[in-house]
Formats: sequence, C-alpha cells, structure tokens
Amino acid sequence: MVTALSTIYPGRDRRRSAGYLDLIAELIEEFARSEDLRVSLASALRRIADVMDADAAGLFQLEGDFGDADARIVCRACVGPIDVIGLDLSAHAGIPGRVLKRNKTELVADARNDPDFIAPQTIGIDYDIRSLICAPLSHRDERYGVVELINPRAPGALFTTRDAEALGALAAAAAFAIRNARLTRELLEQTRLKQELELAAAVQRNLLPAAPDVSAPIQGLNIPARGVSGDFYDILPLPDGRTAFALADVSGKGMNAALIMVKAATLFRSFGKRIHEPGLLLSRIEGELAETLAFGMFVTMVVGVYDPRSHQVKLANAGHLPPLWRDAAGGFHEFPAADPPLGIRGKLERNRYHERSFSIAGGSLYLYTDGATEARDANGAMLGADGLQRLIDRHAAAAPGARLRAIAEAVGTDVRDDLTLLVVEDTDAAGQVPPRRRRRSAAHLVAQTIPAQVGQLKIVRRLVQAAAREAGAGVAWAQELVLAVDEACQNIIRHGYRDNVDGRIEFTIRRRGRQLEVELVDYAPKAEASACRGRRLDEVKPGGLGTHFMHALTDHVQFRPPPQGAGNRLVLTKRLGANTDIDTDNQGADSE
Amino acid sequence: MSFKVSEQAGVATVFLSGEIDLERSPLARRTLLDALARKQSLVVDLGDVSYIDSSGIASLVEAYQRAKNANLGFTLTHVGDGVMKILSLARLDTVFPIRAAG
Repeated sequence: MVTALSTIYPGRDRRRSAGYLDLIAELIEEFARSEDLRVSLASALRRIADVMDADAAGLFQLEGDFGDADARIVCRACVGPIDVIGLDLSAHAGIPGRVLKRNKTELVADARNDPDFIAPQTIGIDYDIRSLICAPLSHRDERYGVVELINPRAPGALFTTRDAEALGALAAAAAFAIRNARLTRELLEQTRLKQELELAAAVQRNLLPAAPDVSAPIQGLNIPARGVSGDFYDILPLPDGRTAFALADVSGKGMNAALIMVKAATLFRSFGKRIHEPGLLLSRIEGELAETLAFGMFVTMVVGVYDPRSHQVKLANAGHLPPLWRDAAGGFHEFPAADPPLGIRGKLERNRYHERSFSIAGGSLYLYTDGATEARDANGAMLGADGLQRLIDRHAAAAPGARLRAIAEAVGTDVRDDLTLLVVEDTDAAGQVPPRRRRRSAAHLVAQTIPAQVGQLKIVRRLVQAAAREAGAGVAWAQELVLAVDEACQNIIRHGYRDNVDGRIEFTIRRRGRQLEVELVDYAPKAEASACRGRRLDEVKPGGLGTHFMHALTDHVQFRPPPQGAGNRLVLTKRLGANTDIDTDNQGADSE
Repeated sequence: MSFKVSEQAGVATVFLSGEIDLERSPLARRTLLDALARKQSLVVDLGDVSYIDSSGIASLVEAYQRAKNANLGFTLTHVGDGVMKILSLARLDTVFPIRAAG
C-alpha cells in the first residue's frame, strides 16, 4: 500500500500523497512514544482528517470477540460537526461490519448506492454522508476496530482510491500501536502474577515455625527451589513436655504443590494440637487431604513425637524417605516407610498408619527430602544417602541448628529441588543398642490404586521395597522384586493402556506364608498370553527384556481370571528363601 | 534434569545417574545417541546409577548397535554390582565392552 503512494500523483493528489507519507512517519513515531494510546489515537484521527481533507472522521473500537454475533463497535474518537463518541453499533452491520468481516479497506464513492449503507438519520443523527472510506484496524486476523473518513470538504468532491490506500496504511500503523499496547499490558499482567507468586512464597515462609532457640532439641530448615515450595516441616511443642514434628514432600513442583503443602501444613497444625499419636494423626490428615488432591498427586510425610525425658521417639511414615538415626556411637540406622504416601487412598488396616517407637538416647534423628540426597557435587555425582551420612558425620560437633545450615551449604547452592531438613537431637549420653525391627505378619502389606503413568513407577518401587523389607526380606531380594514389579507395571502402561494416562492399576502386595504375592489388576484390553513370554537371549536387541526380567526375578508370573469388569490380573510370586530372609538394621552398608 | 557429558579428543563420556527408568530412559537414550551423532566414540559412566530397568538397558543396547555400525567405540565404565547383575540377567555382560573401574 505504501509503495503505491510513492508513485508520482498529479495535481491535488500529488500534494496530498506527499503529506500522507509524512503523516504516516509522524504517527508511527508518536505511537511508539505514546503513554496513553487513546489520546494518541484521537489526535492521530484529527490529523488524518485534516491532511486528507475530510469533513468528519470516526474511530470505532471492537468490543468483544468478532466471532460473536453480538459483538459491538463503539466510537472512541471523532472529528466533525457532530460528536458521536460512545455511539454503539453492531459489529456485523452496515459498511463497518462488512469491512471488519473482509478485513480490507473499502472506498465507498457514493454511500447512498451501497446496499449495506445505514443512513445516519435512521439512527437519529442529522448528517448526510455522500462518500466515505472505511479501513479495518487489524493485525493479521486480529481485529481491533475500524476507522472511517467521511465526505471530502471540497464541495462535490469524492474520495479517491489513493485516499483509500493512504487511510489503509495509516490504519495499519495505528493497529500496530494498539497491538503493542496490548502486549505491554499482558507483560505487566505477567509481572503482577510474578509478584503474587513472591507474595505466596512469603506467606508460605510464615507457615514454617519461627526460628527456635538455637539450643532447642528440634531444628528445621527449608530452602525452596523456585520461590514457592512443595516441602514443609513443622515443630509443635505439646503441653506435656513432648514435641511433635513433621516433614513432608508434595509430589510435583510449583504452585500446585505449594497449595497442597499449605493445606497439609495447616492440617498438621490444627490436628496436631489434639492428636498426639503419629499414626492416627497421619490418617486424619490423609482423610482431609485426599479430597483435595488431584488424581496422581500424593504427599509423603513423616510425623513423630519426641519425649526428652524417656528419649523415646514415636514415628509414622507415609511413603517418605527413611528417617535416619545416628546413634551415640556414630552408627546410622534407617526407618523405611511401612505405609503408602498420603492421597493414594491405601486401604489401611484399622485405618491407621503404622507407628514405630524407639529410643534415640544420645543420638540424633534426621528427616530430609530428596533435595538433600539427589543434589549433585561439582563433578555431577549425586550425593545419595551415603553422602548425606558423611555430611552429618563431618558436622556432628556443631550445634543442631548450625549443623543443618552447614549441611545445606555443603549440599550446594545449585538446589534444583526443594531442600528440607529436620533434626531431633537427644542430649542424653547413655547410648543404647538399636532396637530390632519388629516383624509383622500382616497378610496385606499394600493395597491401593495408582494412576498408570510413568511418573508413578518411582513410587511403585518405593512401595515394593518397603513391603519386601517389612516382610523381612534382604536388600538384594527386595531389589529383584522391585525390578520385576516395575517391569510388570511398565507393560501395563505401555502395552495395556498404550500410554493412555487415564488408566489405573490396582496394586496389592500380600504375604502368603513364605512367599510374597504382588497382584496387578488393570482395566486395559486383555493381554495376549504370548506377549508375556520372554525373549531369546542370544539376540542383541531391545524389547521383550522386561518380560524376561519378570520371569527371571520371581518364581511365578501368572495371569489369573480378573475380577468383574477388569481387564487383566497379573500375579507375581516370589519365595522368601532361607538366605534372603535376613533382617538387617544397618541398610547403609547394603547400598552399592 | 539432564545428564552430564564431557567431551575430549573425539570421545564423549556420558555420566548416567540416578534411576534410569521408563520416565528417564528417553532422556538417557537421546543423550547417548546425540553424542554418537557428533561422530564421537562413547564411554558410558554408570557409577551414579542407582537403578536401571529394561528401558534403560534398551537405550544402552541401541547406542551400542549404533556405535558399532558407525565404527565408533562404545564402552561402559564404573558398572556397580546392582547394574552388573541386571546386565548379566540380560546376558549383556558378555556383549558390552566393560572397562574396569579406574
């Protein structure tokens, strides 16, 4: 359009077109500097009308989405004998409606002959329109309104195609300015959201307990990775001299996790004042939390009560990383979770999480989130539970609060995950030997439903691991079962549900005498029995390997008749051998 | 979280770490194949791998075959007992060139 204007025009057109080019350049510059676009557009309209010798001009803004039948255009600026600011018309009627629809500038030499023309008199405006140009204010398909020039001032004159081209170019410049203004507004909105996020982080920090006395026996620390945190800890002194404490990690990151964390923290605070039994407290929190959690979200949480007089700690662990006790002699002992995370709706016996009581006489107990063990050193190596133990040893002489800060510092400033630590320090010097893990003979070790998603495999592995250890299996035996069950779940996710994320797996682990039985019920189409055979191992190629692992690492892999309405029921059975049934307390020594 | 890669004299060392399961093996596979695509021999350091499943093993197999076809080196190093057990279960312990730790 602009190039057409650079052609040499004769007479009046020639003078005017030179003026147009100057005007376009001027307006573009003014729009760029403009702080109030509406004022700039009104002044631009006046100058356009002036340079183009028009008797009247109007700028109409589109209100609503042009795709809607009831969208309107409203006059925001006008020039001429009659003020029509605020005039409100249908965005689909008249010549402006047609221009918006075609998204193209139109010259209407004689308006009275145009079938779409709506005479001003019909809407109560006493004004004759002879000739007009109407141009869309639009950027590509995005429409902001129209601009209209009405009646050349010279008596009897009509607008020309060159006038139309000029107005089209001016309208494009104006539309560009409108678009920029909108983008700027969106940017401001984003900045505001960011500020809100920072405010949310501040609110969260206030939920954490106030910094306790440096000599207090229980200390905690939380370093969020991204402003808001999905971790929390709390320390709650009880009236009888004992202290309740909790540490939790919400699955996922960002705002969702942070909101759930706030709820979990609030529940712990309010129930914790009345309920002093960790197992019962966890089931009450789970009962409230389960309603809020989206499918697939979960919370791992450890709750404990410490009695400084008897040096006893009572713990309940819902799927969280094992608390670590460093005894008075410097030996480490882990307490793996015996129950699934909160929010997975495990059908727990007695609707209560398992509790474990033990003396921490003269030692200290550490609770931590995976931000501590999955942090990396300068060489990119993961710290791991061993690394955390080394750090605890190195700073053992420091006071508890200072020790946590020293550990956090050593874990690294490049924290990709939230980092939360809590220590319970017992000041009694009379160390005792660690208690033997109590062996339970519960038939059901796990019974719950999990979403058939790859992100859930990690939790499946932790559950199998905990159940196997609960049943008294050694570490190597447990790892074999973990891999076999992981592979079975993968088969269901990939080949059963074909990666449809809405699928679910009902997951049960039972102990039957001297063996563990893992049952996986899915609602996918029936599996072909042949799909469950291993592969020939002399071929070096991927595929079929998972099934081979399932068979090699368990004693039986069987499809049994599924329950009513289900697709498949796969049962993996593994015998607890004489040599595997070794119940070690010191798991640290077993890791690779 | 990406895996660390160090490159030196036409050899790329990929440091796999953590749990190489169905969720993370696509990233492991991508990292290994990208290194080979740059015409470099490959050393895969498994020292920090705490868990590996069949999808992780499959990524190693694919990279191994890709390297062999392109006449590029492929070696595993720092293979821990846990990972070695799974490799031998798949009978891949005799297929993959494994360099003793050091």
